[in-house]
Parts: sequence; C-alpha cells; structure tokens
Amino acid sequence: MSFRTKLLFVVLLTIFASVSVVAYAVTHYTQAAFEAMDAERTEALVAQFKKEFVQRGEEIAHQAKNIAEANLTERMAIDLSRPNADQSLYVRDAVGTAQEHGLDYVEIVNYDGVLISSAQFPARVGYKNEWVTAVKDWNEIPAFWKKEELPDGVSVSLSVVRTNNTVADKTLYIIGGHRLDKNFLASLVLPAGMRALIYTNLEPAFVPTSLMGEKIDAEQAERFASLVEQLQKQPQPLVRTIDWTRDPADAETFHAIPLTGRNNELLGIFFVGSSRKELVLLTRQILKIAAAVAAAALLMGLLVSFWVSARITKPVEELAAGAREVAGGRWDTRIDVHGRDEIGQLAEAFNHMTQTLAAQKERLVQTERVAAWRELARRLAHELRNPLFPMQITVENLQKARQLDAKQFLEVFNESTATLKAELANLNTIVGRFSDFSKMPAPQFVRVNVNEALRNAVRLFEPQFNEVGKPTITPELFLTEPLPDVDADPDLLHRAFQNLVLNALDAMPAGGTLTLRTSEHDGHVRIEVADTGKGLTPEECSRLFTPYYTTKLQGTGLGLAIVQSVVSDHHGTISVASDEGRGTAFRIDLPQRQSGQTTAPREPAPESKSAPSTLAAASD
Amino acid sequence: MLGLAILPSAGASKWPHYSGTLRVELRASSVSLDPREWKVGSAEFATDERMGALVFDRLVALDNYGRFQPQLATEWSHDAAFKRWQFILRANAKYSDGTVLSSADVAAAIQPLLPDGQQISASGNNIVIQSAAAMPDLLEELASGHFFVYRAQPDGTLMGTGPFFVAETVSSSHASSNSSSAPADSSLAAPTPGVGKTMHLRFRANEETWSGRPFLDAIDVTLGVPPLRQLFDLQLGKADLVELSPELVRRATQDNQRVWSSAPVTFYGLRFDEAQPSAMDANLREALSLSLDRQTMANVLLQKQAEPASALLPQWLSGYAFLFTMETNIERAKEIRATLPANMAIGAEPLRLRVDAPGDLAKLLGERVAVNARQAAILVQVVNRPVARTTTTSNDPAAGVHLFSWHYSSLSPRVELESMVSTLNFGNSNEAAVSSTDPEQLYAREKKLLQERRVLPLVALPEYVGLGQKVRDWMPSRWGEWHLADVWLDLPESVPAQAGNPSATETPATPTAGASPGAKP
Repeated sequence: MSFRTKLLFVVLLTIFASVSVVAYAVTHYTQAAFEAMDAERTEALVAQFKKEFVQRGEEIAHQAKNIAEANLTERMAIDLSRPNADQSLYVRDAVGTAQEHGLDYVEIVNYDGVLISSAQFPARVGYKNEWVTAVKDWNEIPAFWKKEELPDGVSVSLSVVRTNNTVADKTLYIIGGHRLDKNFLASLVLPAGMRALIYTNLEPAFVPTSLMGEKIDAEQAERFASLVEQLQKQPQPLVRTIDWTRDPADAETFHAIPLTGRNNELLGIFFVGSSRKELVLLTRQILKIAAAVAAAALLMGLLVSFWVSARITKPVEELAAGAREVAGGRWDTRIDVHGRDEIGQLAEAFNHMTQTLAAQKERLVQTERVAAWRELARRLAHELRNPLFPMQITVENLQKARQLDAKQFLEVFNESTATLKAELANLNTIVGRFSDFSKMPAPQFVRVNVNEALRNAVRLFEPQFNEVGKPTITPELFLTEPLPDVDADPDLLHRAFQNLVLNALDAMPAGGTLTLRTSEHDGHVRIEVADTGKGLTPEECSRLFTPYYTTKLQGTGLGLAIVQSVVSDHHGTISVASDEGRGTAFRIDLPQRQSGQTTAPREPAPESKSAPSTLAAASD
Repeated sequence: MLGLAILPSAGASKWPHYSGTLRVELRASSVSLDPREWKVGSAEFATDERMGALVFDRLVALDNYGRFQPQLATEWSHDAAFKRWQFILRANAKYSDGTVLSSADVAAAIQPLLPDGQQISASGNNIVIQSAAAMPDLLEELASGHFFVYRAQPDGTLMGTGPFFVAETVSSSHASSNSSSAPADSSLAAPTPGVGKTMHLRFRANEETWSGRPFLDAIDVTLGVPPLRQLFDLQLGKADLVELSPELVRRATQDNQRVWSSAPVTFYGLRFDEAQPSAMDANLREALSLSLDRQTMANVLLQKQAEPASALLPQWLSGYAFLFTMETNIERAKEIRATLPANMAIGAEPLRLRVDAPGDLAKLLGERVAVNARQAAILVQVVNRPVARTTTTSNDPAAGVHLFSWHYSSLSPRVELESMVSTLNFGNSNEAAVSSTDPEQLYAREKKLLQERRVLPLVALPEYVGLGQKVRDWMPSRWGEWHLADVWLDLPESVPAQAGNPSATETPATPTAGASPGAKP
C-alpha cells in the first residue's frame, strides 16, 4: 500500500470517526432529550388521569350526596326505620335512582347492613353489606376503588358511600359508583399516540380478557402477563416498554398505575401507553440526516484528502524516485525542491547527499584506478622482471663470451640464444595472458547442465588429485539431481569452474578435500566449491576478485577475476566465505533463465582435454 | 294478592250499551290463531288462547263457580266407564261468514287436538268422543286450553263461531305513518318486535254469533308493546286494557289504576338436565334446593306480586298444594355441599343455569338462584337465553339447570301435571303417568316428582291486567280467561268513538239494528 493510499485512508478514517462521533452524540442527546420530553408528557398525563379520577370521585360523591339528601330518601329512611317495614317497596328504587343521577351503580343499604335495593345486582337484595356499617362516618371519605359483584361476574368501580341520617341511629347508606370499563376509558381525553388500558384484577392469575381498551386483542393482552403478575406481587407504579414487533417504531411504553381498594388490595391496573413511533421515526430521521452528512463529509474528505495527500506525497515520491535512480547508479540525480518545509529540506539534503556521493565516487574511482594501475604496474614489473633478469645475465654472458674461443663462444652463444628464446617465449606468454583477459568474449547462452559441467571440470584435474609424490586431494561431489538447466555459455562456465577447482587445489598444497555442491534456490542454481586449505584473511577476501591480485608467488591474479567476470556476465553473484585455517568456500548463484536472451537448445558441456590458457593464468 | 278493584267513574252509564272499540295492548310480539300450533305451557299460550277465545268457541265452558256451562255443545253424557262421551251440538250456530257450524266441522277441529287414543266422530248433531281408557276429566279438558272449534279455510285462515272475527291486521310504527293493511291470518306477528314497530289486530263484532252480538263494536289489539309503555298508555288513556308485569303493579296501584290479578297461572321452577353430569347428583340438587329462599324471591324481589311455590300445580287447580312445603336451610345446604366432591360446582366447572323463560323477571330469578346457591358454596353460572332465539346450538355451553316458566292451560290437574312432566321431561321415564283423576293419586305422583328433586318449584305468578276507567263488566275467570264478549265501554253519549284512536274513527262501529242486550245469554 502506497504512502498516498495510507495517507488517504488515515484522513478518511479521521473524517469518518469525527463525523460518527458527532452523529452519535447528536442522535444520543436528541433521543435522550425527546425521551425525557416524552416521559414528562406521560407523567403529566398520568397525573392528569389521577386528577381526573379524583374529579370523577367527587362527581360520584356529589351525586351520592344528592341521592342521600333527597326527600324520597328521607321518606325511605323514616319508613325503613319502622318495625316490620316492608323493604320490598323500595326494591326497584335503585335502578331509577341510578338512571336519574347518571350512575352505573347505586345500592341502598339499611341501617342494619341489609341491601334494600341494587341497581346493578337486584338479585342480591336482602343480603347484608356489613362493610358499610363498619364505618361510622362515610361522608368525609373520598371515592375508592371497589370490587363489584354483578350477575354476570365481577367488575371494578369507583365508588362512594354517603349516608342519610334523618332517623337517629338508623343511618341509610347510599353507595354510588361508576363502572371501570371501556366507557370509562372512552370518556378520558387522550392525546394522539397515547392510549389507556384497564386491567381488572379480579382473578388470582392473569386473565387476558380482563384487559380492556382500544385495539387490544388476546395476543397483545398476553404480553401484559408478566407486568400484571409483577404488580400483583407488589402494587407499585411501573414503567415498561413492550416491543409489539421487531420494528422499534411499534414499541409502546406503558405506565402502570395500580388501583387498590380500601384495604390496599389490588383491584385493577390502569395502563397509560405511549407509542414510541414518533420518537423512533424522529431518531431515524436524525440518523438519516447524520448519515447523509457523514457521506457528504466523507466524499468531501475523499476529495480533499486526495488533493492533500497528492500534494504531500508528490515530493516524497520524487525523493523515492531519486533514491531509486541513485540505487540504479545515477549518483548525480537531483530532485526539485518545493518550499522550505520539512519535505523541501529533505529534498535539499537529498540533493546534497547525491552531490557528495557523486564526488566521493569520482574520487574513489580515481583512487581505485590509480591503485589498479599501480597493481598492474607492479604485476607487470614483477612478471616482466622475471624473464628480463635471465635475459640480462644471458646478454652479459654473451658479451663476456666474445673473449672465448669460437667453440666456446659458439657453445655459450647457443646456450644464450636458447635462453633468450625461452625467456622471450615466457614474455610472450605473459603478454598473451593479459591480452586474453582483456578480450573476454560475450557469453553465448545455451541450456547447460551445471552438474555435468562441474563433473567435466573435476575430471580434468583427476590426475593431479593422486599425483605421485604429492599429498592426496579427495574430491567430494554433492550434486542435486535433477537440477534445472541454466541459460549459460558452456565454455565460459567451464572456464570459471576450472579456475575455481584449480584455485582450490593451489590452496591445499598439503592435501585435503575438495567439495563441490549444487542446489536449487528461488529460480537460481547454486554452486559451491570449497577447499580445506589454510583459508583467507578478511582483507584477502575483500580483495580476492580484484584483477591482478594474488596471494600466490606464481600467479597473475586474473583467475578469480575471470570467474567473477563470467558470473557477472551470466547475471549471477559470487561470494566467498573463509575461516582462517579451515578452508575457503566459493558460492555462485546463477539464474536459471536469462531475461531478454535467445537461448539455444541444450548442448553437452565442453570437456577440455587440457587446461586452457586462462587456466594457466589462474593458477598463479 | 290484589283483588279486582272496580271504581266506576262519576256520571258513568248505569246500563250496558253497544258501541266502542276496546284498545288492548299486549307484550307478545306475535299471535297465532291456530290452536294446533299453540305450545302447551309456553308464555305465548295465554296470549294465543285469549285471542283465540275472541274468535272461536269451545264445546263447553267452566264458570267461576266450577260449573260446566254449555257452549257449542248444549248437552253431554258419558258411559259409566267414562270411555264414551256424547255431545249434542247447538243448533244454528254460525260462523262469522254466516255459514252453519256442523258436527263434522267440530270433529275435524277437535281431532288434531285430542291426545293419542281418543277418537271423535260426528253424526247429525251428535258428536262422540271415545277412548279405550277412561276419560273422567274430558269436560275439564274441553273447557280449557286449545280445544276450540274452528273451520279451516282454503286460504289457510281459520274461521270461528266466536263473538268476534279478525277484520284486519295493520303493521305500523309508533308514529303510524307507514301503516299497511294485510289480510287476517292465523299466524300474526309484529314485523320487528320491541324496536318501535308494532302490529295492530282489529277484531270486529260477529253479528252471527250464537251467543248474541258482543257490546263492543271492535277490539284493537296492539302487539309488541313493552310493559312500561303499556302502563304509560293506560295512564294516558291511550289503552283500555293492558298486561301489567309484576314489577309495575305497585306503581300502577299507586297511580290509582284499576288492576286485576288472576290466580297464580304461571309457574317458575328449575329443572335439572343431564347435559351437565354434576346436575344429576341428588345431593347437589338437595343442597341447591335447601339454599333457595323462595320467600324473598316472592316477597322482596317480586314485591309480593308472586307466591312462593312449593308444588308443581297451584292450590286452585290441584287442591292439595298446601300439603307441600319447600324448606330453606342454608346450614344444611352447606353441610350437604361439604360432602360433595371438591371439583363439583366450583369455579372451573360451575353449575350452569340457563334461563329458558323469557323476560327480565326470569333473569332476575335466575340471578337470585345463583346468589342463594353461593351462600351454600355452590357456584351457579347464569346463562341467559339469547334474544330472539328459542333453540340452543352446539356452541351453547351445556346447562345443568334450566329456569323455566309454565303457563297452566288446562283445567284438568291430571292433564296439566302430565303435560308438564312430558313436555319438560323431568319425570322418571319408568314412572307411569296417572290416568285417574283421584286427588290422592295425583298427590302421590306430584310428591314423588318433587322428592326426586329433578324439578324445583320457585314461585307462581298471577297475571295482572290494567284496566281503563271506561271498561265495564270485566268478569274474567280466576284462571285468566278474559271474557271480552261481556265487556262494554262506558262512553259519553256525545262521543261516538274514542278519541285518540285513529282506526276507530276510520272504521266507526255500527251496531246491528235490532240488537239488544237481551240477546246476551
């Protein structure tokens, strides 16, 4: 992933994170604010309902008081106070009284608790309501929730008891009430999105049909079971949200208000439901807006960050390109400097660095060139001095021989000319070696079996391994079979291998083991040639491939240079590892294929019968 | 019990005279004038019988002194074994269309009404009814119930020899704005009873009747009038004769209305049904019986307008009803209940009581039964009969107890008792019906039925009638026959027809020339 892409991602991520945090914060706080408002609204409504209950109770109390104070009731009280009063005279009165005063329930109870008349359950007439006579003064007691027995079951009412005390010590009780039912609910004014439900708790277990209200079916009613059971255990106000479907917009928050009787028994539960639809839709709207804003911000961020990253990374990319050019050898590479910021300073430093590197390289090249020339001069002087010295002696002998007789002169002359010829031939050979090195041919690539080439190279030196009078050298070959062919010039490769083997033999004057190993590594073929000689010092290792450098008394210093040249021409690498006193190992990695080269089919590796001329040069 | 209170108004006519239309209002929404269709014991039977008595005659009648009076039969005799009865038909008895009644008509009319085994034959003026079994109470049978003589017309209507005939039927709303006429039919019903639509029946005086033209020119009967409205109409003078429900009797008397009551003619009771197995438990039935407070039902709930019933047949009919008592003992009921299985008649499986009898009164009684039973720890669930539906469906829960009403329609206690047993199916199927009129046998039969407690008497109600101030010579029988042919209206001489009666002014009464009170029997 490029720096620009990374920078782009970082900027985008930062923008996204920022927008997300803002959107979340806005949504969260907005939702919290709306929920608080909704809760306040519901609380207000619940309070309003409670107030309305109180008002209803006062209305019922007013009507009950009117009934109790009516002339007919007074006459009834007087009549019923008489011994053997005919109570049947009034058995129907409650029905008319209830209708007249707009009450659902009216019961008239005699001073002894006997029910005289009942609007809601006439069949109960004659039975006693002892709870009524247990209270001395009902007139100050407000409305209370009461369980009402009816012919078809039981119900809950908001009831009031008022008394007629026309006859002393023989109070006539009037019980008036309104039934807590759908009509009661319908009379409540509810704002949009809210509804009221009533559960009449008249059975020990939850009964779905006891839940009354609009748009409530049996399946929905079942969802209130746990809430009702909880209130049955502990009649305290509760708030709970019911998810009708998986859509949160269909959820409703219910405030449950327990309706308890005079003895604190739970008679019913009043539910005020507030739909969360409006709230959820509002939240969704905010989320949509936040998502749109975030998308727009991200798009803007993408464009801006693209522009910013391009602006930031362009000098960096120029620096990277310059560095690559430097790595490619163009040490004089320069890049444009934009501005004076850190990137600009970096570009200036880069230019300064390449300038310095170029100058140092130039000086190094000059130094190495001088050193090479000196080394060459030293080697040439050394090589040339060896034959020149006998030639000088020979010439001086010839000059001295002029004083000898002819026969002796002739003998000396012949010996001197033979020596001169030999030394001239020696000089010619030396010059030829240098000439050959300077004329290294370009490789002609064909498919070459490296193992076979190595075997041929070793086979050439087999006579020397067990040469009489010399220490024995044991060749050991660890050649991987099969080994992929490589694109190589077989003659040059053979020449390189010969030089390496010869170099190893020279390194083991006291005998030892010559180890040759091949293997395949990552599209390359690796060749290792190791000896068990005395090894090299690190300094010797570092200069080992320098032309004309040699550690031997007899040698031109071109053998390993030729090996390096061949390996280099094959786009391979050569390295040396040596432990002083334990031997030296050369490692060559050759690519299996030469890119951009036309390769001829495989040819058998050249099998030289004698060492080539360069080999001789390498043996020094 | 309230007695008849006749309070002639000041300045009223001293002698009966012909004219006027009697306005009658009835609760029933339909009337059948075909005796073959009348359902014995039902609440509708009384209305049907009263309307039928206007149009048809019986062979014999029973007066308030228990004496048989000749009607279409002038003489009768029987053999020693009471297996053959012979009746002599009244000569020159005519139908309302003027055709003469024949003995064959009588045989054709009576035969479908007779029980199996009794045969009727006609020969000349003689009519013979015979049976393999003794028929000691045949006269009581023929003097009551549906034993009217009629002739079926080709159009399906029935023609009678009675003092009136059906002149027209008018179906209209209370505003009478869309009234329409329809031909007289034997089965007449208000189009939409109880919801503002009523049906008017107009009976016209039969000039050809053998008993002499009735005093009234016509009788207008309005069907489907709610009880309270009937009372209002009576108070406002819009009706001359109305049915009063028991709960309105006290109100009517307090308003100085004329109220007549019959002997108890409607019986309310509980019968047990094996549809709910727990109802067949004798102990549960006994516990329920002991829990019932009939005195309170009659004296408080029904405001003393009913009598606690301890027998199936009333005292006036059987003569031995006073021998039965129905004990109320809550403590004993609780003890018996405690011995019953715990799951019997409790919340999960209460004893279901279906109120088969119509009306709010029956519903109130059913609720009182449930309240009484609860005192004995017996849970009774009252299931009211759906409105406008007389048959149960498979969706109705099986009821173990039924609250029924029974209208006494026969003057023969034997016939009445066996009709009740067979119709309501509460007797032991292995128990043979009583064929004798011997009171001891009847008493034993009824006692055994009551001891089985498959039927529990509750209360017996008289019938109450509210009478307008102008109604004169109201002389009904104790068992509820109205005898409207004897009634006349005390109208001011200057007013030919009653005000507020559109139909009366549209069809003014036209007394028959030459008719005189002397023509009355």
